[in-house]
Amino acid sequence: MKKTYRILPVYTGDVSGAASALYELGGMTVIHDPSGCNSTYNTHDETRWFDQESLIYISGLNDIDAITGNDEKFINDICYAAEKMKPLFIALANSPLPYLNGTDFKGICKVLEEKTGLPCFYVNTNAMHDYSKGQSEAFLSFAKRMLKEPGKKITNGVNIIGMTPLDYTSTNIYISDGHELVSNWALNTSYEEVMKAPQAELNLAVSSSGIAACKYMKERFGIPYVKGLPWNGTVRDYTDVERKASKNYIVGEPVISGSVAAYLKTATGEDYNVIATTEVTDGLLLDCDKRCHGEEEIEEAIKDAEIIIADPMVKYISPASARFIELPHFAMSGRLFRKQIPNLMNPEEYLNGLK
Amino acid sequence: MPTSSDDRVRIGDAVFPKPFVNGLEFNAPVHGTWNIVHIGFRIPEAHQIYICADNCLRGVVMTAAEMGELGRFSSVVLEEDDMTHSGRIEETTIEGVTDCLNKLAKTPPVVIIFPVCVHKFMGCDIDYIYRCLEERFPDVVFVRGFMDPVMQKRGTTPDQRLRKAMSDIIPGLPADCDTVAFAGSDMPAMHNDFKTILEYNHKTIKDTAGCKTLDEYLSVGRSSLFICQYPAGLMATQAITKRLGRKFIYAPLSFSFDTIQNELTSSALDIPEDFFANGIKTCVDEVKKLKELIKDTPVAIDYTVVPKPLSLARFLLDNGINVKTVYLDGIDGSEEEDFGFLKTNYPDLILHSTIHVSDRRPVRSIDKVLAAGQKAAWFEGTEYFVNMIEGGGLYGFEGITEFLRLMEDAFVNAKDLRDIVPRKGLGCRSCI
Repeated sequence: MKKTYRILPVYTGDVSGAASALYELGGMTVIHDPSGCNSTYNTHDETRWFDQESLIYISGLNDIDAITGNDEKFINDICYAAEKMKPLFIALANSPLPYLNGTDFKGICKVLEEKTGLPCFYVNTNAMHDYSKGQSEAFLSFAKRMLKEPGKKITNGVNIIGMTPLDYTSTNIYISDGHELVSNWALNTSYEEVMKAPQAELNLAVSSSGIAACKYMKERFGIPYVKGLPWNGTVRDYTDVERKASKNYIVGEPVISGSVAAYLKTATGEDYNVIATTEVTDGLLLDCDKRCHGEEEIEEAIKDAEIIIADPMVKYISPASARFIELPHFAMSGRLFRKQIPNLMNPEEYLNGLK
Repeated sequence: MPTSSDDRVRIGDAVFPKPFVNGLEFNAPVHGTWNIVHIGFRIPEAHQIYICADNCLRGVVMTAAEMGELGRFSSVVLEEDDMTHSGRIEETTIEGVTDCLNKLAKTPPVVIIFPVCVHKFMGCDIDYIYRCLEERFPDVVFVRGFMDPVMQKRGTTPDQRLRKAMSDIIPGLPADCDTVAFAGSDMPAMHNDFKTILEYNHKTIKDTAGCKTLDEYLSVGRSSLFICQYPAGLMATQAITKRLGRKFIYAPLSFSFDTIQNELTSSALDIPEDFFANGIKTCVDEVKKLKELIKDTPVAIDYTVVPKPLSLARFLLDNGINVKTVYLDGIDGSEEEDFGFLKTNYPDLILHSTIHVSDRRPVRSIDKVLAAGQKAAWFEGTEYFVNMIEGGGLYGFEGITEFLRLMEDAFVNAKDLRDIVPRKGLGCRSCI
């Protein structure tokens, strides 16, 4: 049954993804939920909580408020917090109960904008999707509501889109050919930095979470985008590297996995297929790749594997005969292997022996 | 007098039992307290199955993973189609649990099922689900848990109801008048006057917080007397003693000598001669020692360290300790008298919320602060803290004395706050 999990943890959820994406942007993110989501987020899905301030709160929804749809309390509590903490914007995230009772978040945003004078937007979550969707929605919603037309362009300026601690430990990305980094969405960054994004001439989507915002910026500001990691400083779409079906698999987020597969193809000539296990995959997979939903499908997809590159948790459902290369992923194994998560830009560190 | 909309209030101005207005909530990065996953694993050999949405599931599955207990944990993910199709949520729950159990190498004797808020709001037929599961797995005892944090603020909490559900499987064995059980707590009894007196009376002691096998856990049903020392376990203790026709004593760690004497006496056990006088003298000597050591160092207490933080504050203040702040968000009914006393006699004592929006930016002193509890330590930014939750199994004069010794030790030996407080479930295995 695809909805059951015997041993694998589920990925970080969409609500946590949204909070992670907006963490450094100076706003106030309010999750309309009882206490569960906030604790899960700051315990298991957020590496910055202890050291770096961010205004992420829950509404503390109780059963009566959920049944009666007590939007007034929700609105008043947000207004009080906004007055007290002075955020630059307000973002609202949904959860299962407000989703079930059809809470009008867009309407609430309008009321909040009138009452607080702050920009306010809704991030379309419901706690039933993974982080890639939550981050994607958050970046897109932020871009739509907050970005303004650029006064001038920055020649060879590049935005990195879709980077959070759920996928990355380092922002140290080298891009050659005279490119200049304009903004990072959204790790080791700031509100001021991301607001410069429309001035860039190129967007680089480094995870599936960045694709929707890239598409939006292409349409609105005419900024083209490329998907994938810039190996050796070269900006190249990973889907341009042809790969064939094989029994070597990279299990995980599709843009990162696809980039690693492209790197391996280029460096070794060997084919690796991506087993995409996160939700946002449209246009991100080659014919030889596969999207899997849930533990059972992943186990089935890799049962004939010769080599597997994946988070260490995947080892539990991997065939014993396969060679297993550990690539810990915070959005899957959380704090369990946090100290072993490599800098993805240094593949020689974690692909040892595959060259 | 209204409750405070600020993050702190002088106790002289505070309202009992809710000193603070409910609003948006902050969550401090302090996780030593136990959640329902930690509590559920107190039943040896039990398997836990959660049926919920991805984001909610993540917290519990990672709790189990960090405990190294994923082998005793399974999950079923709820998706939108479970909300939009009539009867689907029951089907997903039944078939999901069945699939989880069928995938295990060996069927566990006890399975704790955790439906969630959504099951309630969908009007899900929980009884039907259990009937089906019990028909399919007649050899399995199903414990009816619930993970519904939406009920956290009103009525009984998921934590309280889980403890009751866990005690519901303890059978009514013939009562043994020489067997006494500690029940309802997460911390095994230690430095505990009840334990000392039970041993003095040659009683067999059982403790639901320390059972190694399922048989040992179920044998608690032989106990003639139950002692509950943790508020969240009271409902469970009341229920099991009513069901089995046994007596119980409710005695959470108190710092009042009178309360201790009354509670110990109520057990009707033989108490060694001069036990009370010696106990009081030891406590008084130890608190003097603490005072000499820490002098006027500010002390902060939080609600996670002991079940009665105001009782602790009162005891320390009465003995000259410079208690400045108590971190809490509500006050238990059993602390009303201590609240009133402190309000009258120490009105400048600060009550500080732990979830107020302003808590995201705690104002920390540069001076040394001695903290009792992880939350107090984090808010004060001090590495000098007593690392304990739920009273640590302590009780009575010996418990107070041990607590004071821990304060002395905490004052002298700094701890790694950064490493300790993000770890979940103090006392449980942590694989991070």
